[in-house]
Amino acid sequence: MNAPLKLVAIAVTLSGAACAVAGGESPAPAATPAPAAPAAAAEAAPEGQRLYARHCLPCHQADGGGVPNMQPPIVDGTWVKGDPQALALFVLTGGFDSANRKDSDAHNPMPPFAQLSDQDLAGILTYIRAKFGGGGSAVTAGQVAAARATIK
Amino acid sequence: MHKSSLSPVVSLAAAIGGLALAAPLLAADNDGLTLAPGFSATVVQEGLGAGRHLAIAANGDIYLASRNGLVAMRDKDKDGKVDETAKFGDVNGTGIEIYKNWLYVSDNVGVYRYPLKKGELAPSGAKQIVVAGFPVERQHADKTFTLDPKGTLYVNVGAPSNSCQEKDRQEGSLGKNPCPILEKYGGVWVFDGNKLDQTPANGRRFATGMRNAVALEWNVGQNSLYSAIHGRDSIDTLFPALYNAADNATRQAEEFHKIVDGGDYGWPYTFFDTKLNKRVLAPEYGGDAKKEPEAGKYPDPLVAFPAHWAPNDLLFYSGKNFPAKYQQGAFIAFHGSWNRAPEPQAGYKVVFQPMKDGKPNGAYEVFADGFAGEMADNNPRNAKYRPVGLAVGPDGSLYIADSQKGRIWRVTYDKK
Repeated sequence: MNAPLKLVAIAVTLSGAACAVAGGESPAPAATPAPAAPAAAAEAAPEGQRLYARHCLPCHQADGGGVPNMQPPIVDGTWVKGDPQALALFVLTGGFDSANRKDSDAHNPMPPFAQLSDQDLAGILTYIRAKFGGGGSAVTAGQVAAARATIK
Repeated sequence: MHKSSLSPVVSLAAAIGGLALAAPLLAADNDGLTLAPGFSATVVQEGLGAGRHLAIAANGDIYLASRNGLVAMRDKDKDGKVDETAKFGDVNGTGIEIYKNWLYVSDNVGVYRYPLKKGELAPSGAKQIVVAGFPVERQHADKTFTLDPKGTLYVNVGAPSNSCQEKDRQEGSLGKNPCPILEKYGGVWVFDGNKLDQTPANGRRFATGMRNAVALEWNVGQNSLYSAIHGRDSIDTLFPALYNAADNATRQAEEFHKIVDGGDYGWPYTFFDTKLNKRVLAPEYGGDAKKEPEAGKYPDPLVAFPAHWAPNDLLFYSGKNFPAKYQQGAFIAFHGSWNRAPEPQAGYKVVFQPMKDGKPNGAYEVFADGFAGEMADNNPRNAKYRPVGLAVGPDGSLYIADSQKGRIWRVTYDKK
């Protein structure tokens, strides 16, 4: 079984490589940074991008577009563009039941990400607000801590 | 042993087809699909939305289940294209099958049937409830089904869970033991398909340990049930000390099994590891990426298909159009992965598994490929098409339904 599987994998990798170049590997030239984005957003982005890939990408995908019926998109959503502390609270607690998500048709619930440190989650949120939220402001560890403090 | 398999050739062709320059050449025929030699594909209908499974009546009428409702189609002038299309009923779902003079359909909470009357395309008769009242779930909720010649109804009750963790899809969370989900989900339940107004309590658990058996089919020649089962996700993000992203993308087989009464196919306690070519304990249940379950407790799959390909429909070919080697063999529609990310996605093809006397007879072959196109950003949302449903027409041609745009192809063997 190994021989054809490896070849299949190579074939898929070939077609995937073009996508990676187009979509994932050069975010700086591809996305025009919003002039208003604070310098902190860009500074936090590399670590945030790494943590996004580790914790979020498997479901929400590299382009933040989600998967139809499975996981909702992050791109241009109300959460990513909205209040940073509300966004932090939402990711810390996960689930379907957070306000806007009741009508979601996504099949898979988001697990809570409370295990992430304030700093790491701030990095992820900064990255997604810059990349998928139209150049939103950076999120600080303090804002994540404040959101965490409201969880009962 | 599989070096003569068709799959590398066809897959490479599909990959090349994804590049812009080569695409128009392939699009010139077969609607851009790459097919096994001697076969051709034509579009019989398109634009039906999120297509799911297909059924075809003895007179050639085509019935599609979809997320947007049920659709009946007829090719009146027999030119291979549908020229009468009618929406009917009020069921949005996946399962659809013809048994005697009834069209059985299903959604997330039940199985229903409509009478098929002579001459009628869209059924005019009222919907009858065969089984209703399955709990409302989001994950793996489609109650796909199959019927045997006696009318026994086998229903896939998918597990609303990835791996039965204490905390679903949370890093490091261990599995509930025993997994209570298996009491009502994660297996196949049998009902009397000729009886009406049943509830889940009227069913009997036929087989268990099946995370989501969307592709479930009665094999008439073997008088047995078979399934290609969706394997688990996220071994890397849940247990990063044991597995990396490449492991997650490739190791958890999509298992193809003969399903026997009382059988247990290993979810959530185990999965079949395609790298080690053996069944291992799931990390939630003491697995260390090597440890095996008690010998003989769970059967090995007949075929271990690549991880996350998402087998969404299965049929055993007994039509007259295809060459002899296709007789008794299994066609499987792989909807394609989302859960290989960040690794390249895979699947998005129809595979043929040669079979003899109910057992695999050689390596599987890619039968139809090129559905996904170049799929920008490695995101399934950008797949051009995704194969999801299969049916055989009265003349032996194979019909394939797509979930992205609701296109239906008819594949015939032309080389005599």
